[in-house]
Amino acid sequence: MSSTIIKLNAPLTQAFDFQPSSELHLTPTPTLNTLVQQLAGFDTLTSALEYAAKGVTGYNFYDAKGNVRSVLPYKTLRQNARTLAQRLSGFDLPRGSRVAIIADTSPEFVELFFACRYAGLVPFAMPVPVNLGSHVIYVQQLRGMLESSQASIALANIDYINFLEEAVIGVASIRWAGTPGKLNELPVNDSELQSNHPDETAYLQFTSGSTRTPRGVVITERALMCNLQGIVRNGLEIKPDDRSASWLPFYHDMGLVGLVLAPMVTQISVDYLATRDFAIRPMQWLRLISRNRCTVAFSQPFGLKLCTLRVRESDLKELDLSCWRAAGIGAEMIRPDTLRNFAEKFSSAGFDANAFLPCYGLAESTLAVTFSKINTGCNSLQVDSKTLIDKKMAARLQADGRKQNEFVNCGRPLPGHIVKIVDEDGHQLSEMMVGSVLVQGDSVMTGYYNNPEETSKALKPGNWLDTGDIGFLFEGDLFITGRRTDVIIVNGRNIRAQDIEELAEQQPEVRSREASAFGINGEDGATTIVLVIECRLTSPTERQSLTTRLQQLVYMAFGVNCVVELVPPHTLPRTSSGKLSRFAARQGYIQRTKLVDQLSFVESGDR
Amino acid sequence: MTESNYDEIMKLLCDRLSDLTNADVLIAPETNLINQLSIDSIKLLNLIMEIEDAFDISIPINALTDVQTVRELADLVHKIKITSS
Repeated sequence: MSSTIIKLNAPLTQAFDFQPSSELHLTPTPTLNTLVQQLAGFDTLTSALEYAAKGVTGYNFYDAKGNVRSVLPYKTLRQNARTLAQRLSGFDLPRGSRVAIIADTSPEFVELFFACRYAGLVPFAMPVPVNLGSHVIYVQQLRGMLESSQASIALANIDYINFLEEAVIGVASIRWAGTPGKLNELPVNDSELQSNHPDETAYLQFTSGSTRTPRGVVITERALMCNLQGIVRNGLEIKPDDRSASWLPFYHDMGLVGLVLAPMVTQISVDYLATRDFAIRPMQWLRLISRNRCTVAFSQPFGLKLCTLRVRESDLKELDLSCWRAAGIGAEMIRPDTLRNFAEKFSSAGFDANAFLPCYGLAESTLAVTFSKINTGCNSLQVDSKTLIDKKMAARLQADGRKQNEFVNCGRPLPGHIVKIVDEDGHQLSEMMVGSVLVQGDSVMTGYYNNPEETSKALKPGNWLDTGDIGFLFEGDLFITGRRTDVIIVNGRNIRAQDIEELAEQQPEVRSREASAFGINGEDGATTIVLVIECRLTSPTERQSLTTRLQQLVYMAFGVNCVVELVPPHTLPRTSSGKLSRFAARQGYIQRTKLVDQLSFVESGDR
Repeated sequence: MTESNYDEIMKLLCDRLSDLTNADVLIAPETNLINQLSIDSIKLLNLIMEIEDAFDISIPINALTDVQTVRELADLVHKIKITSS
């Protein structure tokens, strides 16, 4: 026994050494291209790939030990995607038919994604399963997306095909489901591939793990091209010697749009590490950046936190992060402390805090809405807490010693986009006043696929997108003070409160509209999910059984622990229309549990 | 040989789990990782890293979807260990 423990505590040098692979030796695509760089400005995704394919750059995939597993130059991608498109054409599907793909970090996913576009089909990425014991719930989630999108074709690689085969059972729209290998056995249809129109849908992006009401964001080629252009020209100021490294999942907007499509429309090379491999050994991401001299790499704050937690002194000595000029941070509320801790830790490895590039965005606006100014690092504003609560106003801190909140500057909207802050009645607020963040511009989605109800909640007259987030503007820059109450972010994962409530309501003891879920922040900034249930059970055993079951279900579906509170009927506050108010439910919980310092102004009502 | 391997895996899992979680839960093969030990995602990743390094294996993430108890995790590790060596 003791020997095992000693082995565990010893530095794990063996597993991390970069030894040249004794097997097939692959060379990653170079950083410098033979082609003149064009910074987006294409009319469609396929025309962008046609151009990128003339060069020598492309995508590289690494294994958990940091060895190159496969190399996919844009040139090869174009060729493979076109051949696959001709196989897909054999199904003779109407243009715009949906194709579901379980998106692990693999060349096959990227090839299929582009094959769909060449064939005039609409791909969408589905997540890989990540939680202990999640088999049944994961299959339900897949089925929810397949049904909501009315997908005709569904694909998964060999690791996930059994989940997919379970999920497609009974889904009427599915014509074919299988692996990329099986697709490759189908004949190549020699009919000519037709070009796409900017008004056509480029892809769907699902934003929720709900089994009953999934929401697939519809993004057109025009919206995508518009957002990509803003990101690469104005946000990142991409140059010919740039190179990216990414661990972000391909089924998230930041991973797909930001780190697969944005590099392609600027013809730069990318090095990928699977999300799972990053999560287990985050240093591998930094090693990739250091070794391949990568310049652009994005993360959620949580990813930086993982790196800070796991790094050892010996790692710092072998890393040189001085090449990293754009460390994009987004996808969740940014706490300045997370960035400060990271910069402090990695400055000795050459990391420059000016590389921090906070930004704000959401899948409903393709990806990015605002970018802070590049090369200026993370800037924040300290505001007086009392004025913030009492007057919903951000007043700059006048004197030391007063309770303060610090918010990160997320910068300005991309060209052609407008951000405004409105109050509860939709009236525009002046600078420094805190309210709902609305966005208008060409990157905004056309709606949620096949879901007019959710679409009308999000898209306001004049095509203003209600982001559901709360913030203020100062000198034209956006500061986010709170995210919507309908999304809870735990360890970097966005979880919709509604999805948790739905799980609870599926239990026989819980009636609909008698469950409310929200997040509570601990002193260290960690978020705990609280699920309050109105419960008629009196037997302690039955109550305990319900509590345990709910905790287990939430874990299996979302991979997080939660606190379950059973309260008497009519405890949860309702609006005049009988709807539960999560905001009020949260305030009530805080008062019951005496966590009064959590009472909050920053999150407004539900969208 | 195989038998002792399995015991070694179980022992390591129980030891590591009792370090990762509250000391007041006695860890047994039937202990449920989710609702008895509250293994959150960070603890889970730590545990997987330690198992992978200790046994020189790679645990595919899709296989964890059918794991809920300590025994099921030990069975999985054992199965991977046998097929990879």
